[in-house]
Amino acid sequence: MEEGELKPTENVEDFVERRIDDLINWCRKYSLWPMFFGLSCCFIEQMVTYTSRYDISRFGAEVLRGTPREADLLVTSGTIFKKMAPVIVRLYEQMPEPKWVMSMGSCSNCGGMYDVYSVVQGIDQILPVDVYIPGCPPRPEAFQQGLILLQEKIKEERPLRSILRFPGGTQGSRKEILVEGVSKSREPRGPGYYGTPPRGTAVTPPLFRENRSELMWTPPARRIELNERDRGLTGALEEKFGSSVRPTPHTSDMLTLQVDQASLKQVLHFLKTESAPRFHRLDDLTAIDESTRRNPEKYADYTLVYHLLSYDSASRVRLKVPLSGKDPVASSITDIWPSANWYEREVFDLFGIRFQGHPRLRRLILPPAWEGHPLRKSYPGRATEMPPYTRADAESLQPLDASEYLTPRNEEEYLINIGPHHVSTHGLMRFILRVEGEEILEMDMDIGYHHRGVEKIGERQSWYQFMPYTDRVDYLSGVANNMSYVNSVETLAGIEVPDRAKFVRVMLSEFFRISNHLMWLGELAHDTGAMTPIFYTVSDRERIMDIVELITGARLHPAWFRLGGLAADLPEGWKEAVDDFLRVFPGRIKTYESLLTHNVIFERRTREVGVLSRDNAVDWGITGPVLRGSGVEWDVRKKMPYSGYEAFDFDVPYFSEGDCYARYLVRMEEMRQSVRIIEQAANQMPPGRYVTDDYRYAIPRKDETLKNIETLIHHFINVTRGPRIPEGEAYLTTESARGEQGYYVVSDGLGTAYRMRIRTPDFAHIQAMPLMAVGEPIANFIAVIGSVDYVMPDTDR
Amino acid sequence: MTGAFTPWEPGVFALSAYAFLVVAVTGVLLFLCSRIGEKRSSLEKGRAYECGVIPTGSAWFRYPVPFYLTAIFFLIFDVEAAFIFSWAVAFDELGLLGYLRITLFIVVLLFSLFYVWRKGALDWKKAN
Repeated sequence: MEEGELKPTENVEDFVERRIDDLINWCRKYSLWPMFFGLSCCFIEQMVTYTSRYDISRFGAEVLRGTPREADLLVTSGTIFKKMAPVIVRLYEQMPEPKWVMSMGSCSNCGGMYDVYSVVQGIDQILPVDVYIPGCPPRPEAFQQGLILLQEKIKEERPLRSILRFPGGTQGSRKEILVEGVSKSREPRGPGYYGTPPRGTAVTPPLFRENRSELMWTPPARRIELNERDRGLTGALEEKFGSSVRPTPHTSDMLTLQVDQASLKQVLHFLKTESAPRFHRLDDLTAIDESTRRNPEKYADYTLVYHLLSYDSASRVRLKVPLSGKDPVASSITDIWPSANWYEREVFDLFGIRFQGHPRLRRLILPPAWEGHPLRKSYPGRATEMPPYTRADAESLQPLDASEYLTPRNEEEYLINIGPHHVSTHGLMRFILRVEGEEILEMDMDIGYHHRGVEKIGERQSWYQFMPYTDRVDYLSGVANNMSYVNSVETLAGIEVPDRAKFVRVMLSEFFRISNHLMWLGELAHDTGAMTPIFYTVSDRERIMDIVELITGARLHPAWFRLGGLAADLPEGWKEAVDDFLRVFPGRIKTYESLLTHNVIFERRTREVGVLSRDNAVDWGITGPVLRGSGVEWDVRKKMPYSGYEAFDFDVPYFSEGDCYARYLVRMEEMRQSVRIIEQAANQMPPGRYVTDDYRYAIPRKDETLKNIETLIHHFINVTRGPRIPEGEAYLTTESARGEQGYYVVSDGLGTAYRMRIRTPDFAHIQAMPLMAVGEPIANFIAVIGSVDYVMPDTDR
Repeated sequence: MTGAFTPWEPGVFALSAYAFLVVAVTGVLLFLCSRIGEKRSSLEKGRAYECGVIPTGSAWFRYPVPFYLTAIFFLIFDVEAAFIFSWAVAFDELGLLGYLRITLFIVVLLFSLFYVWRKGALDWKKAN
């Protein structure tokens, strides 16, 4: 039947009504107003859809609105965090009707790969959803298709009746919220599996009762010989502190000392101010719950772990402090390192260990009303083991009021929240400011809106299953995350990596560094008032995504590294694609510099703004470009090389001003240096294997499995049950695009990690933001945010 | 007066037609907006939007506005600039006397500018 034709059963009024409906629907579906709202990785792909290659303006939905009042389309692009859910519901409620909801990505659809305590298993439990877009993350094309589907849906609506307040009309989202057990099932295998434990439960904490890793033999963990310097340090400590400091006999990565709780503070003070070499940086502070160890007699109830770094000697030391009791109390070291503040709050939050002498110990990551401490082995890891999160929860578990953080001193001062939903916070981050006029007098921060419980997941997924989770820790750095993870595990197990794999790893990591810096550059320029650069930087970033896709088959999250090498060899045609990029890109950097470097507005917005002094940068554990912008010449790639970086010729740029402009200059120069590294890696790409032949740990090459039964068995074991990593621990960091990202992997000699600690650069950077922002007007604070370049999953994990 | 750039001659009819169109289009748009939306009200919708959390305190308070003074000064000095422009246009007719008068005027302006400057009214931040 033709569109405009009168149906035989239809009378004239119905016909007219239908045509008016068509007109209204036509207007609505080609002028959708999406809210500028992103949750995690998916939003990166959503944002790319708005730029030139994908150009969503063709569909009439290109103008992102900053507040819910002006928007009629909510795209929940990313993971729905329990701490964030009340905010999402509020934003939805504040949108005018009629309004529509698109759920973008697996996390938003059903929790995706994050079946973990802090994640809602699907947005449809708290909001009505019109269109689901599958993918992790969905490609830009998938987002476009989702939009087309929504337009199709709008086309079927009957708005005229609603407009005239007659019954029987439909417009906007009208689907009901789904209810667990009635209209939806959180069970990923389907409702028929209710009541049976998920696959893998029997081999993971807290029981491990059917773990077959016991039957597999592996050689012991790698052992290193301590050098002269470490032996001297041990001697000095033993002389000064006697038996309260005991070096552990074997270590895989660095000098490790067992320290009694009573003398810990003196030891740390000694290491920071007197020892040779001095350890200026508190690299990381975390804890381990030792309650499900296979040899419990060797361990206390909990262990606190301190990693310190010395700039002078480019070395680290690890201090382990045994604690006993169910809710132990340790002493705070915030008077030695101010940066210990958040680390101790995090340990309190996730382990329930209290710190005496801490200025204000309270939860850091989980919502204030949360019960329990998730990184305890007794705590359920999966969201599906907990009651479903409902709309009622979202209404009652609100974020704390700003007055719980700060108090105005007089009636001209006031409190204002920037975030968790704000265009300029670059993710789910809440700053609470005490302001007078425009000037920031004091600030506090509320993180944890992006907490995906990755460290808990690391304890239940096998060593290979965990690889895709690492990609998503810093969603703009792709395989550079894999690098940090495999680096630590390979060090622990003593796995040798072939040269070709090392070179490919370096090349791809540097590609992701450039890709990250391009995104940062566009955003910083955008934050300081320049709209143009982001459209160019994103289209350049797409060139990199093309190369990454050619080589790995994925865009944002390739998960392409393996223990001992890579998932596959370089494909045909990779060299031409890389050469093309190298030919074009240096000219593009020049373009960007001519747009910004001597741009008066840009200089005024960034020079002498947000100054971070060298001393503060060292004291607060700052790393990466922010550290180098404060005048410290420190780059892990140079000072403690990994993955063959010592074979490459590149410079480490650093500037002493410590302001936003210095951080800008550092990153611009880093892009040039990355181009140099990629050039060298591509031109000198060694022939040979892409994965080690030590098949105890590696996933064997497919062609070899077909010729050799031993190899076939290893392939079968390593992709199913997964390899067993020997008992031990290792902590190494890599220079990711935004700083030093480190994995502290602890193995109890099983197929999963016993503790998977991720040290991230942004956690330290965000903690230090008041040093850069207090005293500045709010507008400068936005420039500071842009220049620090954090991403939230990297902060909250 | 026929303009040099366009053959169009303004008249009362065109003006009133234009005025009618402006009112009509605005009226239709406002009417449609008020009818087509559903206007459901709820507690959350009535609340001020503050990045997705519940705001603290009221929006009605003495808000220090450093740019307010700057804006006022701009207005004042801007109006005075109008006098200077009109004097410049009539420079030939007003002669030396006019020149002296406007000089006095500018000197007074300059004094007031220095006064404002010295008082610290042009500083964005308060001296803490």
